[in-house]
Amino acid sequence: MNPTLLVAVDSIRALLHRRLLVALMLALLGLTAVFSVTVTKVKKSILEASELAAGMNDGELSEAEQEQARQGIDQAGSFFLAGFYWFSAFGGTVVALFICCTAVASDLRRGTIHMILAKPVTRSQFLLGKYCGAIAVLFGYSLLAGIALVIFTQVNDLELNLAAQYAPWLMFCQSLMVGSVAMLLSLLLHPLLAAVVAFFASAGFFSSPNPLYFVLPSYDQFNVFGLIMNGRLIALEDILTLTIYAFDVAAIFLLLALWRFRSRELI
Amino acid sequence: MAVIRTEKLGKTYRGGTVALRGLDFEVHAGEVFGFLGPNGAGKSTTIRLLLNFIRPSGGAAYLFGKPVTCAQTRKELGYLPESVQLHSYYSGRRLLEFYAGLIGFERADCSRRAAELLERLGLREAAERRISQYSKGMLQRLGMAQALINDPELLILDEPTSNLDPVARRDFRDILLDLKARGKTVFVCSHILSEVESVCDRVAILQQGELKRVGTLEELSGARGARIVVGRLPAEVIEALSATDARLTLKGRESTIVCDSQSLLEHVRQVLDDLGVDVKRVEPQMQSLEEIFFGAIDRERTA
Repeated sequence: MNPTLLVAVDSIRALLHRRLLVALMLALLGLTAVFSVTVTKVKKSILEASELAAGMNDGELSEAEQEQARQGIDQAGSFFLAGFYWFSAFGGTVVALFICCTAVASDLRRGTIHMILAKPVTRSQFLLGKYCGAIAVLFGYSLLAGIALVIFTQVNDLELNLAAQYAPWLMFCQSLMVGSVAMLLSLLLHPLLAAVVAFFASAGFFSSPNPLYFVLPSYDQFNVFGLIMNGRLIALEDILTLTIYAFDVAAIFLLLALWRFRSRELI
Repeated sequence: MAVIRTEKLGKTYRGGTVALRGLDFEVHAGEVFGFLGPNGAGKSTTIRLLLNFIRPSGGAAYLFGKPVTCAQTRKELGYLPESVQLHSYYSGRRLLEFYAGLIGFERADCSRRAAELLERLGLREAAERRISQYSKGMLQRLGMAQALINDPELLILDEPTSNLDPVARRDFRDILLDLKARGKTVFVCSHILSEVESVCDRVAILQQGELKRVGTLEELSGARGARIVVGRLPAEVIEALSATDARLTLKGRESTIVCDSQSLLEHVRQVLDDLGVDVKRVEPQMQSLEEIFFGAIDRERTA
């Protein structure tokens, strides 16, 4: 088997050993449960409020009132669906930062990197393997988040709009970029500091005259929170463009990380 | 052919600490080479440079005639660090298969080779146990197994027996002797001088980044002098010898004359020749490795 693939499988195994995937599944399960309970309560309170209003008006809801109640429930549903997505996307970013910032550092701390690089494995193969392992885990997370999103909508009788359908893929694309930036920074800074800097290393924090606006990746278009909340659609062309953008950015930062890792002293 | 060659190899760490100063040495194919020095001498730095973990500040290092930056040179190399750090979530067998895979073995070969080495290193019973449950000695043996997984032409060992009990230490020595017999090259760093003395063909002594001595034990202790064994000595010979610095021991029918330097040895032999004394044998006075080591290093500088 190719050394890159072996290192990738090994890093997934290491993450499994740290119970990371189990923790992620439990976190998503918890998120689904909390949001479901909240949505049910909010729906119930909207209905109760409508029935209370009906009680004051001869006990029957007019068509306009029924429509108003339905709209209220739909809006609350969209809001919670967007909220659910926001939390799982934020979780994805944190997981990407955690995995990619510690990918090399943890092996260096344990000393296992020396055992691997004493074999005919190039540094590029090692780092690529670590990145591929991280990406596989992040893909798994996005998949789990997508499943949780579907379960959440089904359980709570909500509409899964197009923005929400593609949200997990966009979440994964964002993780690709965040991961590559985090990996590069972890080779330059302490892993914790690298994670913090990588989190804020976004063009969204700067405006046009600032040179960082042109250098840093932009995550704004990947955040479909607003689209989900408003029930708006995403064009398939946009998703394709965002995917190409994410892969480009990830490749550029990964190349920079490889260049840095080649000259890095491993002590 | 030189399996390891360094040319003016130097390393200065960030902060200005000079770890190596223009190191020049060669390790030839099939020899067991002892690399000695007190703590901070630069032994670990040399190994890190040879394995391309760090970059030299000056000079160059070669393995099998190729620069150490070439990953393919490590295809024929085995490495056992002083403190063996292994992936604790594998079993012993899976770990060896993982390393064999990194070298490029086919899956079936990985399993076969892992089983062979687990048997050879006495770890067959613990093969399926998680490494996190291994004792220090077992870890060291598993570390040795991973170093031997590719049946390497060159084995680099950094303090290989520091965590081992005497029985395991003897087993390790036997493995080294077996490798030596099979014509493998071994580069071994050790503080245990008796161990190095028993297996090494040549040694290098390093102090504060400088190579103090390098050669075979005979070469390094060559100028020590000798013991001359003769028969019973007449009074005139005893008188003539007492005028020299040689130490004379008369015991029964045999007399022994100890000469501490080469020049004294030559002078005494001249005296014996002049007086017509038959020399039974001359035994070179070999220094122990410990004596060579302490003679080579400047203890004040080390302190």
